[in-house]
Amino acid sequence: MDDCQRTAARVTPYVDGVLPDRERPEVERHLAECPPCRRGAEAEQGGRSVLRRCATRLKAEPLPPGLRSRCEALAGEYARRGTRPWWSALAPLTGIAALVVFAGILLLALATRRSDALLAAQLTADHVKCAKVFLPDARAEAAAVERDLENKYGWEMHVPPSSAEAAVTLLGGRRCLYAEGPLPHVMYQSVDAGPVSLFRLEGVTRRASDIVTLGYRCRIWSRGGNTYVLVTPERQTPQMMQFARYVRAEAR
Amino acid sequence: MLRRVRHTTGPADADAFAAEVLGLLEPLFATALRLTRNRSDAEDLVQDTYVRAFRFAHRFARGTNLKAWLYTILYNTWRNRRREASRDTVEVDSERVEQAADVDGPLADDNPERLLLRATLDAELQAALDELPEAFRQAVWLRDVEEFSYAEIAEMLGVPIGTVMSRISRGRRLLFERLSASAPGPAVEVAGRR
Repeated sequence: MDDCQRTAARVTPYVDGVLPDRERPEVERHLAECPPCRRGAEAEQGGRSVLRRCATRLKAEPLPPGLRSRCEALAGEYARRGTRPWWSALAPLTGIAALVVFAGILLLALATRRSDALLAAQLTADHVKCAKVFLPDARAEAAAVERDLENKYGWEMHVPPSSAEAAVTLLGGRRCLYAEGPLPHVMYQSVDAGPVSLFRLEGVTRRASDIVTLGYRCRIWSRGGNTYVLVTPERQTPQMMQFARYVRAEAR
Repeated sequence: MLRRVRHTTGPADADAFAAEVLGLLEPLFATALRLTRNRSDAEDLVQDTYVRAFRFAHRFARGTNLKAWLYTILYNTWRNRRREASRDTVEVDSERVEQAADVDGPLADDNPERLLLRATLDAELQAALDELPEAFRQAVWLRDVEEFSYAEIAEMLGVPIGTVMSRISRGRRLLFERLSASAPGPAVEVAGRR
């Protein structure tokens, strides 16, 4: 019983050829003497051989359309901005200046004990990151996005549809990771202002505020026990302001 | 968030890193598919992994195994998603896994393209692999198809090395038994374990 247990612990490296030389004789002796262990080792050797022989074919899975080009876009963006950390992409400022501004936001958040600035900074970062992931000429139906968010993640959210008057198109929705947990992220494309993001924090209520951070404007408001954040470029056009009013009325 | 980051030199380095990471797209997707057993989830998982890989590129120590690093991100991302989504598959601990022999559900997404590909590959092997309990399937995939070391696999799966070897052993044997069985049906008991 003991010998079988001892051997069993060594069979895998033995079959892989990575068992230390001094341990091999003992294993080989036991396998010669014990038919069940020998059969087990042979089964293991057999399974290993099949997988190795077919490894290349097993890995040759066709990629879904679009995945490669999206990953190439991510790679291109990374290569373009070099090896600076991701948050340096946020600001028109670069390097030390960005660090100082970012540190300033964090210190402000700590000093005033309000986490709005921090929330705005984090979601702005998420907005910038996800803007690369969504294709700008995509177009989604609000009902489909709602179904997707509910089926995949259990979020029941009314997604404001595309608005012709505000010249904003719904691109899609996804899950974004935030310091406190995941949250729904709905992405829009504005004709004149570029990507716009709507986030929802479930079960959180905050005072309404309007924060400008690093070139972006975050409108924060609460409704029905949830908090919404709309991230847009800092400079506001009449159409963007109309879209903001529209989203505040629609989102729930 | 303001940890000291190690900046490497020059744009050529970033290009090389980006190219190498991109080059792993296909095997990464195949592995993600083994995890999610659903093409669109695998696609999401791979994309999330790439976003993180480039975001945390500055934390990769040049000269170490890039593939292992990328796969570790894949598995971490997968675990986070599972924890949050809390789907039908329950998070089991190592001990239960070692005792379990039940079969997971069939592959969720059998589109015609995949069926055709299966026909040209070794269809029986694909099916047998997909029917393995998840922990064993991951272990043999990472060892025998992707050829990672025990230590690298332990890091990815977040379990001790001994558990990795044990899962590889069970997975290989179960696979062999299934392929050797003359008729499809419930798993055959693996002989030789005390």
